[in-house]
Amino acid sequence: MDAESYSAKGPQPRDGKAKQMEELDLESVIGRARGHDVAALEQIYRRYVRRVFGLCRYMLDSRESAEDATSEVFLKLQRSIESYDGSIPFPRWLLRVAGNQCIDALRRQRRGRQVIVEVEEGATVVEARSAEPSPLGAVMSKEERAQVRDAIARLPENYRLPLVLRYYSELSYDEIAQQLDLQRNYVAALIFRAKQELRRKLAHRSK
Amino acid sequence: MECYSEQTCTIFVDGELTVDEARRLRDHLARCQRCRKLVDALRAENRVLGESLHELPEEAAGPVGFPRLRLSWVWGDLAALAAVLALVSIFFAWVDKLRIPEALEWLNPFSANGLTNLIFNLSYNFAHGGTVMLADYAAVVGALFAVLGGGALLLGRRWRLHPPGLHLLVVLLALSLPSFALERRHGEFVTVAANETVDDTLLAAGNTVRVEGVINGDLLAFARTVEVRGTVKGDLISIAKKTVVTGSVEGRIYTFTQSLDLSGQLGHSIYGFAQSLRVDDRSRVGEGIVAAAGDVSLEGEVKRSVDMLLSGNVDVSGSIGRDLSVSGVSPGRSLMLTNTARVGGNLSARVRQLKDVHIADGATIAGKRDIQVQVRKSHFTRPRFYFHQAVWLASAMLVGWLGLALFPGFFQATTQAVGSGWRSLGLGVGVLAGVPLVMVVAAITLVGIPVSLMLLALYLAAIYLAKIWVGAFLGRMLLKPSGVTKRDWMLGLFVGLLILTIVGFIPYLGGLVRLGMVCLGLGAFAWQLYRASRPTIAA
Repeated sequence: MDAESYSAKGPQPRDGKAKQMEELDLESVIGRARGHDVAALEQIYRRYVRRVFGLCRYMLDSRESAEDATSEVFLKLQRSIESYDGSIPFPRWLLRVAGNQCIDALRRQRRGRQVIVEVEEGATVVEARSAEPSPLGAVMSKEERAQVRDAIARLPENYRLPLVLRYYSELSYDEIAQQLDLQRNYVAALIFRAKQELRRKLAHRSK
Repeated sequence: MECYSEQTCTIFVDGELTVDEARRLRDHLARCQRCRKLVDALRAENRVLGESLHELPEEAAGPVGFPRLRLSWVWGDLAALAAVLALVSIFFAWVDKLRIPEALEWLNPFSANGLTNLIFNLSYNFAHGGTVMLADYAAVVGALFAVLGGGALLLGRRWRLHPPGLHLLVVLLALSLPSFALERRHGEFVTVAANETVDDTLLAAGNTVRVEGVINGDLLAFARTVEVRGTVKGDLISIAKKTVVTGSVEGRIYTFTQSLDLSGQLGHSIYGFAQSLRVDDRSRVGEGIVAAAGDVSLEGEVKRSVDMLLSGNVDVSGSIGRDLSVSGVSPGRSLMLTNTARVGGNLSARVRQLKDVHIADGATIAGKRDIQVQVRKSHFTRPRFYFHQAVWLASAMLVGWLGLALFPGFFQATTQAVGSGWRSLGLGVGVLAGVPLVMVVAAITLVGIPVSLMLLALYLAAIYLAKIWVGAFLGRMLLKPSGVTKRDWMLGLFVGLLILTIVGFIPYLGGLVRLGMVCLGLGAFAWQLYRASRPTIAA
């Protein structure tokens, strides 16, 4: 990703250590960060701040709360990185932490109540298979992709959160279920419904 | 075979179907063109979703620095401010039910009596440089923290306190405080009758506390009026509107009172703040007096020295065994020694004008007379001033660095919390005004005294640290560094503190800025403490 190119034009004069860090592979940077090496933590910040902020922005409703959540993730990283055991790729682990942070922020807004509550209609969805091709599949241009993002942003939270966690953070259904404290089947249903709603929104727009 | 549902196909495309089911579906796809088409379409959809999301919206292109001071805080934070005020009023309603304010009405700033008292005291205090005193006191506490922190660093541990550790430390601190043998009395009218003897230290709270008998320990009194007609063998500690001693106190008197009248015997010294201090002609002070007081009248005998740190009118007609030193006589007030006055040592006075000193011909001064007229010279012309400021700045930087080294997450997050603007400011005003009241109320209960003392230490430390957090935030706002390294933070702190220091010297505005700074910092601290007390998130 282009985080490196961004970091290169950072306004700060770089000292030798930071430069040296940039050339190190991710594994050794993480290793150093676990030993509370500030330069290594800074390097992780430079590499992943955009991706983490992106997730927070998709999940939370304002830029300010997304900024707050992003800062929290990196501030807590000094401690939380100790629990990273290397069993999954680091970016995915970091996005999982960030997702948790966002859900925690949402839960706080709701005074501790669950972010998404399972409702009676349950996990099964009765649907008629549409004969029309999905408007989503035909998206090619940059403008169209911006429209998709816009439509996702306007999805209700219970659809948006699982969708973003699945296709941005690339979490499994099980992981999403665990984060949102829902049944796995319900997560599958929500993702399915989210896509249907998205198609409807996009079809409506293109008409 | 029947075709699969679209939802099942979606789950399959997401790679979330069980191995068996996925194999069956794959077999079906080999035979069914319709389903194959659907699965291909769903795959294309997923690809588009992933690509669109990963492209990120425009606003995510920039770096996420520390949040800037926002103008959009207004509504939410006005609500927060209102909530704080509501809480404060609920607190007072609750206090009212406890009937405590009757004894402490003069302290309650929400009552007419308390308000006039507060305004009078505050204006008096400010006029006499009380803020400087508070800041100096806070600096001492800051230095103490720096020494403790430095010691911890020297021990060579990268020492961090997690919330449970912090709780444990607080509990240990509380337990390590000496437990007094203490008797506690509480009521409208607390008396120790003439034929009564209290063997322990007595903690008394009430409208009037009157001692006619004997207290073998100390007397701690919180009341509107404290009267000692009998004997206190230990010390008298009084926080009261009026303190009168006609009997005898064999120890010392520590007092924070509107008026202190001594017409009895005192074994040792008086240390105190009082609006008026009177030692009448029947009284005798075994040692000396160190006090800041509005009007002072010394008619009796003081065996040793008298040090008036801040004062209004000082009238001496009694005898002082050693030196008399009076500094900070406010303009228009005077120092007067009558014919009967006798000073066994030197007389030193710092006054604004020579005519403020009246020494009667019959007054005896055994030592030297040293009367200095202090001409108000701008402190900006003195090199010492710049030296002091440099020391001040360096110690603040040191404390900031130690704080960051010991509690990196907490310090950075608190700096960031300053950015919430109104929330921090509102919370800070609440904390600044509320904590002293909470301390007084806590001190009334028996178990509350150590809590109250710890609260005081924390309060003063937070007042000192406020400028560090606000300075660091201000620096960040101006420099906008892209990283979150310690160096960036320290550089921001330096720039911020420099600006705050300079702005702080602007007449009138400077005071407001300092007050705002303390409120913002305290609010951010309180908010961060609250946040830190909640469970953290695991990955």
